[in-house]
Amino acid sequence: MTAGAVPIPARTDTESALPASFWGRAIHDTLQDFGARLGLVWIILLVAVAVLVPMLANTEPLAVKIGGHWSFPAARHLTPTDVTLFILAAATLAVLPVRRVSVARRLLFLLVVLAVSIPLTILFVKPPITVDWQQYRDLQRAGKIQFKVMAPLPYSANDYQRDDPDQVLQPPSRVHWLGTEANGGDVLSRMMYATRIALSIGLVSTSIAVVIGVVVGGLMGYFVGRIDIFGMRLIEIFEAIPTLFLLITFVAFYGRSLIMIMVIIGVTGWTGEARFIRAEFLRLRKQDFVHAAVAAGLPLRSILFRHLLPNGITPILVMSSFGIASAILYESTLSFLGLGPVDVPSWGQMLNQSLGVGGTFVWWIAVYPGLAIFLTVFAYNLLGEALRDALDPKLSK
Amino acid sequence: MGTYIARRLLLIIPTLIGMTVVTFAVMAFAPGGMRSVIVNRESGLDPRARQAIEKFYTKKYGLDKPLTVQYLVWLNKVSPLGVKDAGVGWPSSRRFGFKSPDLGESIISHRPVLAMIEESLPVTLLLNVITIPIMIGVSLWTGLKAAQHRGGIGDVVGGSVFLGLWSIPQIWAGVLLVGYLANKNFIHWFPAAGLHDLRDDEMNFLPTLADGFHRGWLLDTGWHLVLPVVCLMYAGFAFSSKLTRAATLENMAADFVRTARAKGVGERQVLWRHVLRNSLLPLITYTATIVPGLISGAIIVESIFGIPGMGKLGVDAVFDKDPEMVLSTTLVASILGLISYLGADIAYAMADPRVSFESEAT
Repeated sequence: MTAGAVPIPARTDTESALPASFWGRAIHDTLQDFGARLGLVWIILLVAVAVLVPMLANTEPLAVKIGGHWSFPAARHLTPTDVTLFILAAATLAVLPVRRVSVARRLLFLLVVLAVSIPLTILFVKPPITVDWQQYRDLQRAGKIQFKVMAPLPYSANDYQRDDPDQVLQPPSRVHWLGTEANGGDVLSRMMYATRIALSIGLVSTSIAVVIGVVVGGLMGYFVGRIDIFGMRLIEIFEAIPTLFLLITFVAFYGRSLIMIMVIIGVTGWTGEARFIRAEFLRLRKQDFVHAAVAAGLPLRSILFRHLLPNGITPILVMSSFGIASAILYESTLSFLGLGPVDVPSWGQMLNQSLGVGGTFVWWIAVYPGLAIFLTVFAYNLLGEALRDALDPKLSK
Repeated sequence: MGTYIARRLLLIIPTLIGMTVVTFAVMAFAPGGMRSVIVNRESGLDPRARQAIEKFYTKKYGLDKPLTVQYLVWLNKVSPLGVKDAGVGWPSSRRFGFKSPDLGESIISHRPVLAMIEESLPVTLLLNVITIPIMIGVSLWTGLKAAQHRGGIGDVVGGSVFLGLWSIPQIWAGVLLVGYLANKNFIHWFPAAGLHDLRDDEMNFLPTLADGFHRGWLLDTGWHLVLPVVCLMYAGFAFSSKLTRAATLENMAADFVRTARAKGVGERQVLWRHVLRNSLLPLITYTATIVPGLISGAIIVESIFGIPGMGKLGVDAVFDKDPEMVLSTTLVASILGLISYLGADIAYAMADPRVSFESEAT
């Protein structure tokens, strides 16, 4: 017996390092991909910039000493959005390492934090309505400032120095790293503020699209028959209408607020998700565990969302990565056409300013914001590709 | 196959009606709807004039009637088949049949919307008709080459380049093309705007060489179209190339290819006759699905390059708050999209005899 005993092979290090759970392995496989890692780094960088931008680019000094008194002008000018983002980022960092609680619970916690902090910040954070951007520059010139701590980039996004011809349409230099635009605003600073628009549009409108797509696709795939035929027509309608035409029609009649644009991009972009979920549910609905759930008398809600949906969620994750990319593209296109959100800097709107009347072309306003859009879209696409390969080896070719 | 095509044609009807519902609903559920858009635009501060204008448009569009009635009246007006001589508001005559569709009137130029769309639509179609064959041709070649030399340097580099190309925003590509290649401060190889030279009415149709080279109307138009077509093409080209590569790889490993090789068919013959023909199938579907995208892209390209097509018409109408113009361009664009989907389904059914009404899940 002893001679014939097969030695149990010792587990190699790589094997034991592999996470056991499905999601753990999926994340591990995704991050094996070089492109996906680059994409993730870029997106994390964007998130960091979006949260910390008042600290990174601000005309107001972070701390200043005038006449022996220390004051913190940048903190005084924080908006409710800034503070909400700080709170949310802090909460995310706090729950990220907690492994014992499930991901869904942690997400729920973050949503609660968000829901609580928005009204609280709106109530208690009251920045002054008008800001005198010249105030500290004048004080500096008058020699009143004894000591000050500035942000790395000492220009806010809305700090237009129109009146100073030396600041208008300047090419990239040591002072303005990526140059200035026609109103004398700093291009890099405006780009940094615009990360908020890009990231939030991507997240919110894709969430809306996923919810609509899952509900419609799920109902179609589970009930087949008439509902399916009806739903298929609905999908066909939304796919055949050229999206950009539908978007500009919405903008024409509903206005151009940020929320509205998030909603309309979501409302026009759910067909891919619906198709995927429908196909997945069609495949699953005949399986034994679904029959068992039906026989056990579970309510429809439970069958659809607790039993069927977890099995069909993987393609949705891949789709939403691509969905975020296309939402960012649509937003920048709308902004480029001059139909995007008003009053906030966005990459597409900046790109629009690069082609002036009379054939002028300001290359630094064209190259850098465009590059930002491209890199962000590329990052999400790379992540999506890697995620698809990791989750479904059949699909990868 | 006959039943399949007939069924497909019949299913167009609900989709078409659904499209008109979606388009109408976007307008009708807007805060204030058509009324506020027009009245705010047309009337000044004089309250009596305002009232008169409001009355006129209320009567014209039946704005005081329920939404369903408004929709049916509008549908009757825009469709080529319906009650003739509908007049203002609820139709008075009962003569039913084919008529010329009435898409309304632009409140800016006070011209019929249909006439303005008839002028601009051929331009948009021209862009698409040039773009699609070039795109498909080039991507077939690159896709086949990539599949033939799978895992080679060209394939690997090509794969990342295509994903990159696919991610380049059209607005960026367009701006850079105009800015760098059509600008007197950089490289002035191409015209910056428009579809024709300003003096195109003096040109011959074909290029002439008598007393120096004159490029002629045809070449001039082509020259103006280079940048717009490149801008419209590259993203779809990247994707269809990937698609061709995947389909070719799948077919190369298929049994019928092995059989063909086993019976001694030459490698060229195998690739071009057996593999390529089957790899065309996914491209047919893809071509149809990108047509709506290309029409969307026309908005961007026409805005950047100043081409007077339907996309530019739509964007200008949004700026001018010209409701019937916005609705009509969207409606016409949607019908184009629908026709392309239908065409693809029929072409697919013809190309692939396996497709039939039974195997279709819809």
